[in-house]
Amino acid sequence: MSRSERKSGQFVVPGDRLGVIEEFTSGPGTYVEHGTIYSKTTGRTLMDTLNKKVSVYPLVQAVGVPRVGSVVSGQVLDVKSKVGVLRILNVGKRSLSGFFTGILHISDVSPSYVETMFSVCKTGDIMRAKVISDKNRTFYLSTADKNLGVIYAFCSQCGHVMLLRRQRLECSRCGNIEERKVTSDYGEGAM
Amino acid sequence: MPKRKTEKKKLNIPQKNPEKLIAKDDVRIDGRKLDELRPVKIEVGVLGNADGSAYIEQGKNKILAAVYGPKEVHPRHLALPDRALLRCRYHMAPFSVEERKSPAPSRREVELSKVIREALEPSVFVEYYPRTSIDIFIEVLQADGGTRCAAITVASLALADAGIPMRDLVVACAAGKVDGRLVVDLTDFEDKEGEADVPLALMPNLNAITLLQMDGGLTVDEFEKAVNLAIDGCRELYKFQKEALKSKYVAVKEAVEE
Repeated sequence: MSRSERKSGQFVVPGDRLGVIEEFTSGPGTYVEHGTIYSKTTGRTLMDTLNKKVSVYPLVQAVGVPRVGSVVSGQVLDVKSKVGVLRILNVGKRSLSGFFTGILHISDVSPSYVETMFSVCKTGDIMRAKVISDKNRTFYLSTADKNLGVIYAFCSQCGHVMLLRRQRLECSRCGNIEERKVTSDYGEGAM
Repeated sequence: MPKRKTEKKKLNIPQKNPEKLIAKDDVRIDGRKLDELRPVKIEVGVLGNADGSAYIEQGKNKILAAVYGPKEVHPRHLALPDRALLRCRYHMAPFSVEERKSPAPSRREVELSKVIREALEPSVFVEYYPRTSIDIFIEVLQADGGTRCAAITVASLALADAGIPMRDLVVACAAGKVDGRLVVDLTDFEDKEGEADVPLALMPNLNAITLLQMDGGLTVDEFEKAVNLAIDGCRELYKFQKEALKSKYVAVKEAVEE
């Protein structure tokens, strides 16, 4: 890139030269190799002449991999007495093309004491949770917040959607009453 | 017999044994100059269901590439603890060649899948996504020589379209020897009737070669010339590659502004 072109808003593709480390520090979306700064995504350049920093504002973002702190949602695959397994289908608001698997331990369900995992969620439920650890690349989840937990529950007797009536979950078809750790926006929130 | 000959000419199929592959005035059987590439058309983001995709037409080659990921690896034991697993499947459609090709992966396709994966791997920041997989699917719809090179060129664009961080785009082009002359971007016919074929993949900004093969025989001197010819071809193709990415995203931006 010649000197006259060095301004913000330039369209760049991966591998485009942005400058050398003597003139800029490398910001997000860029990398340094042999003293030269290159773009690593398709995007537009952002030249911060005050802080001497060059970064690339991406026009495309890779499918999100869950990170610590990200809110994820998905379907409950399996429930044991102390642990639940969640198939993560959404990270933030973006849906994945594949899925990731997360684990929700009973100690991370709620700030208060929980007797059994079966009162928290059941297989097939749609849940929202937060990633609290990705040690060993296993996503450990937590629902210890009022907007985290089950967003859609399904009756264990007939499989129909459970509705929230007078603080209780009631099956829309058979009237069966069940217990879940529900979110504050149960039944209305989208994934 | 003379009747058959006229039929072939009408269909524009090269004669099985033309007297010469290169005419006296340095014109090849398809009318190109020795250092001229076939006409190229590239499009990015053609598939809705893939995370990234691209399509290339290079001469009579028609190739589609799709990228999925990064996503969880299945089967799980294949996952790498420190980086993403890059998987690649090069496949030729049964109707891609003159005689129907069995859709099952052949020995050649398995080898090309590996070769293409290894040509693309140095360009991808695989260490950003440990224990995940990035899957590349390459489908050759119509083949006319140099499909591995065209496949690398599109697959790299599909990766960029998926937003996966990359060191550089990878672009590939072949050079070879036909009728004792060095030429660039061989067609299927030139490849089969010619003396040698040198496919080469390049990261143009880093000036690094990620694939270099040779089929046939060249002297050391000729080989060096062929490599330089292929590099020049790669640099020419890189312009089309960049333009294809630009036209997608700049068009998107203009649509948003309107």
